[in-house]
Amino acid sequence: MKYFVIGDEDTTLGFSLAGVAGERVETSAEAENAFDRAVTEKEIGIILITERIAELIRPKVDRYLFTRDFPLIVEIPDRLGKMPGRPELREMVNQAIGMKLS
Amino acid sequence: MRQLAPTRTNLLKVSAELNFARLGYELLDQKRNILILELMSLIDQATQHQDAIEKLLTEAYKSLEQSVTAMGRSRVRSLATAVHIDSRIAFRRRKVMGVSLPVVETEFQEFRPYFSLEGTSFHIDEALSRFKAALEMMGKLAELKVSITRLAGEIKKTVRKVNALEKIAIPDLAETKVNLENRLEETERDMFVLMKMVKRQLLEKRREDQ
Repeated sequence: MKYFVIGDEDTTLGFSLAGVAGERVETSAEAENAFDRAVTEKEIGIILITERIAELIRPKVDRYLFTRDFPLIVEIPDRLGKMPGRPELREMVNQAIGMKLS
Repeated sequence: MRQLAPTRTNLLKVSAELNFARLGYELLDQKRNILILELMSLIDQATQHQDAIEKLLTEAYKSLEQSVTAMGRSRVRSLATAVHIDSRIAFRRRKVMGVSLPVVETEFQEFRPYFSLEGTSFHIDEALSRFKAALEMMGKLAELKVSITRLAGEIKKTVRKVNALEKIAIPDLAETKVNLENRLEETERDMFVLMKMVKRQLLEKRREDQ
């Protein structure tokens, strides 16, 4: 199985240097299209999606992240760096299980 | 509390049930603790990976920008199409307390050299190797993140079960058991008094007869 990138121009270009196919998207409609196509593609095992793009189609991404086995989805920062206001992993987990981990 | 006829059979049944509930509670409690430990170590690893990837990507984007500045976007794009790296992801699974978690292994097959060194910027080579390094860690991060969401789900379920046993089932059974015992003892005392009275009456009767 393979990686697949959904992101802005720089992200897709950068990862194509590492031999990863990708799709360049800008609007949420494009993102949705690309995401839908990527998750149905059998050969794609891991989808890398930039945080900014993922934010455009947040409900869809979250639904996949929490329920489906494959493909795995990783959100990555884009050229402008990490998005402010994204919850930390630990906080997300605390919220998900409704209790505080020390 | 359950309303049961105060018989010894019911008392035995409730005691057995209570023991079973306590055993289940202990096991689930252990399961919860093990899952939480596992989850915490995964979170630590994932945070480390995430930080490392973020740093790598920031550098990679910088190199990319520099190479775009040096050679032009269309040149970089055409060079990118020339790069031939096959990445193959293999999935295995591992189990922690019955939860199946993915293990991702990424294999890279490179077919160097990708492009001529002549006329290409040093930065593009740098960008390439940095993006590749980030990609190598990406598989592991995906594995960790998915494992974390699955474990969190399982912990949620286990905590609910543990709480149901601890807060409802066990107190309820214990109360029922105490209640049954009390009522059985009460009947026993009743019987005891009754027997004493019968005995005394019998004795009095015998004395009158003599």
